[in-house]
Amino acid sequence: MANAFAVELRNVVKRFGDVTAVNNVSLQIRQGEFFSLLGPSGCGKTTTLRMIAGFEMPTSGEIYIDGEPLGYMPPNKRPVNTVFQHYALFPHMTVEQNVGFGLEMQGVDKAEIRRRVGEALEMVKLSGMEKRRPKQLSGGQQQRVALARALVNRPKVLLLDEPLGALDLKLRKAMQMELKALQEEVGITFIYVTHDQEEALTMSDRIAVMDEGVVHQVDEPENIYERPADRFVADFIGETNFIPARVVQLGPPVVVEIAGRVRVPAAWAEQGLSEGDQALLSIRPEKINLYEERELGEAGPTTARVEGRIQQMVYVGTDTRHTVRLADGSVLVARLQNIHTEEEPWTVGERTIVEWDAAHARVLRV
Amino acid sequence: MEQVLRRNPALRGWLLVLPAAVFLIIFFMIPLLIVFVYSFLERGTYGGVIWQFTLENLARTFDPLYFSTFLRSVYIAILTTLISLLLGYPLAYFITTRPAHQRNLYVLALMIPFWTNFLIRTYAWLTLLRTHTGLINVSLTSLGIIEKPLPLFGNDFAIVLGLVYGWLPVMVLPIYAALERLDKSLIEAAQDLYASGAQVFRRVIWPLSLPGVVAGSMLVFIPSLGAFVTPAILGGGKSLMIGNIISNQFLAAHDWPFGSALSMLMMIVMLLATLIYFRWALREGVQP
Amino acid sequence: MNDANRSHDRLARWRASLGGWILSGYGVLAYLFLYLPIVILVVFSFNDSRSTSQWQGFTVDWYYAMFDDRQIILSLWNSFFLAVVSTIIATVLGTLIALGLERYSFRGKTAVDSMLYLPVIIPDIAMAIMLLIFFNLSGIGFQPWKVQFFGVKLAVPYSVIIAHVAFNISFVAIVVRARLAQMDRTLEEAAQDLYANSWRTFRRITLPMLMPGIIGGALLAFTLSLDDFVITFFTSGAGFNTLPVRVFGMIKKGVTPKINAVSTLMLVVSLSLVFLSIIMRRRGGDDEPIQFGF
Repeated sequence: MANAFAVELRNVVKRFGDVTAVNNVSLQIRQGEFFSLLGPSGCGKTTTLRMIAGFEMPTSGEIYIDGEPLGYMPPNKRPVNTVFQHYALFPHMTVEQNVGFGLEMQGVDKAEIRRRVGEALEMVKLSGMEKRRPKQLSGGQQQRVALARALVNRPKVLLLDEPLGALDLKLRKAMQMELKALQEEVGITFIYVTHDQEEALTMSDRIAVMDEGVVHQVDEPENIYERPADRFVADFIGETNFIPARVVQLGPPVVVEIAGRVRVPAAWAEQGLSEGDQALLSIRPEKINLYEERELGEAGPTTARVEGRIQQMVYVGTDTRHTVRLADGSVLVARLQNIHTEEEPWTVGERTIVEWDAAHARVLRV
Repeated sequence: MEQVLRRNPALRGWLLVLPAAVFLIIFFMIPLLIVFVYSFLERGTYGGVIWQFTLENLARTFDPLYFSTFLRSVYIAILTTLISLLLGYPLAYFITTRPAHQRNLYVLALMIPFWTNFLIRTYAWLTLLRTHTGLINVSLTSLGIIEKPLPLFGNDFAIVLGLVYGWLPVMVLPIYAALERLDKSLIEAAQDLYASGAQVFRRVIWPLSLPGVVAGSMLVFIPSLGAFVTPAILGGGKSLMIGNIISNQFLAAHDWPFGSALSMLMMIVMLLATLIYFRWALREGVQP
Repeated sequence: MNDANRSHDRLARWRASLGGWILSGYGVLAYLFLYLPIVILVVFSFNDSRSTSQWQGFTVDWYYAMFDDRQIILSLWNSFFLAVVSTIIATVLGTLIALGLERYSFRGKTAVDSMLYLPVIIPDIAMAIMLLIFFNLSGIGFQPWKVQFFGVKLAVPYSVIIAHVAFNISFVAIVVRARLAQMDRTLEEAAQDLYANSWRTFRRITLPMLMPGIIGGALLAFTLSLDDFVITFFTSGAGFNTLPVRVFGMIKKGVTPKINAVSTLMLVVSLSLVFLSIIMRRRGGDDEPIQFGF
């Protein structure tokens, strides 16, 4: 079964009464991958994770681990382990007993449990804490115990449900790096649920972006950011401009009309659009430049230009957000880095030419 | 077996519930049903019943002789509840204003008398209130403050006092819980919006503590209406409540159907009070 | 202007502190009201006279008289036996039903739920006569269970045991359910995730976590059983006395410091149980305010 996916979901649906929490989700997660389920709260990501763990059974569809269908297999028979959101450490047991619990339940002999618990605690840098109770540990330490308690069983897949959510920002950043390093070290497939896009982008090999029970895009972090598949993904990940547009030509090249009659090229148009449709041109604020007319260079075939007036400028440290109003009243934001040169800053009300490269512009359905 | 249970969690739930449910059906629901049926039967000569349908027992509960006692019991229960509220609310407020680490101690001190035997607490008042040999009258007479003993015993005053003493803690507890939960910044917000002390109480504190007040009132009203020990001891055989009339039908008069009918009447009033309370709680969205 | 302000200020401060004083004074009075009768009761159990209102000097004779009274001692044993047996049965049944109602959903759950709360709401006099009629009619129960309890020969009617279990189940179930409801369910999921089957999850996680609740429920049941007078009085038939029933009979005959002595004994037992339950709660790591089943 070496070629099989670590975890595969085929057309999985989960309904709670009238509510459809997960709607026809299919996912293929590769061996040894750090895979994130990303989405706002209530998007179905945790339910998906709980179905893989066996705490919830799919209403329809099937889940496979290493190519084997799981069916109604109870959680205690599944070769996966979970790191819970609030760790779920057993308060009446010591750290050692917590970490050894899974091995004990599997009937591993005492000496072996001792050895492996010791190893696991060493791996998460908690040696010497064996006899402590969860209450006597800091949040970060509890998090490590939860991690050790899951990993000590050498699961085929480790499921993590917002494991860093309860930690403060600084500790969270440190743990992100540590978790990623740990995953590479043990080589176990991680499925990581989070609503924090930065966390997902930093740690994952691939990300599935979910909303309202549906997977919108499965891709590598860079593609998720640079090439969002639809409006939800573009909007949910980072900041973006949605400029009302009309499709002129589906191409290639794709051409749309914005700000009244200005035609601009774009890199890609979403499936299902046809010529003449109303659409949105999506472009990230940092991909946009502002020029005075006299500064303009030669326009290439992929250069997009449109005229506007500076409406507002907000200084935000590394860059300044320039809000530009186009002829038809639509508004876009350009983030210009604050690299101090002799250039004159813009003033509110000034006329400007907005320019970007079509490679960064995507036409999405409204 | 394991398989069947795993597939069917409802069955597992039923199996857990079953022993207690069967026990309560046999030894609680069926007796309740029997009392209901008995109230429609004719009395037997030496206790017991004759299986003959009659509405006479129910009609007799409205006989002024008994119904007046019933109304007086309701009156005593309401009076007990109101006095408990009047005494209990400031006490709950007093506990709330203590430093945080002391509050549990004050609550504990409140509950200790409650957890001593009710009979004993009633007896304690008997030794204080009795007309000629009670501590209060004896002391006041020997100090020359009064000449004739005060009528402290064998009347409604003694019963209400005994009931208030017995149930005051269960009035205070829910009110305290409500006041304790109350967000102190709400009071500050009201003050910030120009409310005076009295207005803060009337417009913010009182409405927010109302769930506690209502819960406490229920907890006092129901056992007060069904009181048996307090009137039996402090009523001095003269001042009786519905609970004593009921017990007399079984212990002395051997009129079981009528005793059943009277207790049905009592339970109906309590059930009504409880239902009104639950509907109110549901409407207000508070945990009953 | 400043002067006017300052005097207004002083008045406000004076009023605030006056309010505080009145409240504190009231608090002291309220606690005096709660404790004074009990204290006087205890004091007169040491009175060297038959009077419970005029102090004649210190004696422990009434305690000797109490322990010499075979009836009192027997009723004390009856009370303890009854409390132990009914608590054990009620705790097992109450815990099971609490688990079933809190952790599973099934048809008829609401009905069972309402039935469970009824014995708590219904006043004891109503429950007492209900059970009296039931035991009379069914013909079961009034015959005694003859048993050796710590070397003492007792004869306890089954009817009384059944009656005590009937009102205790609900109290145990309510306490255990409250504990179950505040228990983190992901702990059980975590155990299952770590290869524990249902039974081992219950044994290793649910039961230990639930233990403070079960012990709390049992202590409550034990206290209620020891304290009960009305239901015992009506369901025991003739000739069986628990301590409260005995005390009621003594009160009816007349007030003597011997009753005060018995009362003091019962007081000490109740207090010990309260403190035992506090200790158990502390052990259970429960920092919640004291609730005692409410």
